[in-house]
Amino acid sequence: MTTGLVALAAALAIGIASIGAGIGQGIAAGKALEGMAKQPEVAGNLRTNMILALAFMESLTIYGLVVAFILVAKM
Amino acid sequence: MLNALYSIGMTDPMITSAVITIVLCVIAIAAGRRLEMIPTGLQNVVELAVGKLHSFFTDIMGEYACRKYFPIVGTLFIYILVCNYSGLLPLAGELKGFKPPTSDVNFPLALALVVFVALQVIGIRESHGLRYYKHFFKPVAFIFPLMIIEELVRPVSLTFRLYGNISGEEAVVAAFNDIFPVGLAVIMQFLSVLMGLIQALVFSLLAAIYIAEAAEHEEEHLPVHEG
Repeated sequence: MTTGLVALAAALAIGIASIGAGIGQGIAAGKALEGMAKQPEVAGNLRTNMILALAFMESLTIYGLVVAFILVAKM
Repeated sequence: MLNALYSIGMTDPMITSAVITIVLCVIAIAAGRRLEMIPTGLQNVVELAVGKLHSFFTDIMGEYACRKYFPIVGTLFIYILVCNYSGLLPLAGELKGFKPPTSDVNFPLALALVVFVALQVIGIRESHGLRYYKHFFKPVAFIFPLMIIEELVRPVSLTFRLYGNISGEEAVVAAFNDIFPVGLAVIMQFLSVLMGLIQALVFSLLAAIYIAEAAEHEEEHLPVHEG
């Protein structure tokens, strides 16, 4: 019973964490691409900043992944 | 020989990262032993790579910080990149003593701690003493606890970003391989080539930004607004 609940909790931790990051990264990447299409001359600068912003959003998912790992280790 | 290494407490990722270090050192020594004005062969390749990296980091850190601290961020990039790609070699994780270092939490943790200590050293050196820590109290004094947390969370997030991405991606490849032995895992491997590069880039990019911030001169700080 408890094992099943812990497994569910681990799956929910990473699942829900990735929803938010997915939406955020999609918006950020979409806007960055829009900017690159409008002004190709600043594409390099935009790309670097986009990767940086994506990394910050991604770290939130990674926290979810860490929580999932901790829960799985407890099982 | 492997058993001797295990008996002194070395683990597979440690052995792999030591081998990678030695290989990179040998390449660097071989490329830099007889420098010529008109480079040929290995020197040419290494010079091209380092030159590209240097111009990339100059854009991010600025002329001054990049000239001074390019070695640390450039080394981080090359080392992490090779460590990530070592996981793509055949038999990685199967062979004894060969496991990609970045899929073990201790390796990114060590790199992140190096960055953390380097930040304090650079900050203190650039602002001539403990005045560096005054920036914790800017713009208002009571955000001090928040600034401390922000500073301490940096190595943690650097660690888990690299570790989580690489080991997560390897877990996905393994799971795909179990579900469907041919095909799916190969497609995922293409993605991991991209992922290894991006994660190496992100780690060194963040390190570069932190260092550039710490190396900023005192005069360039924004004026203090009290209250």
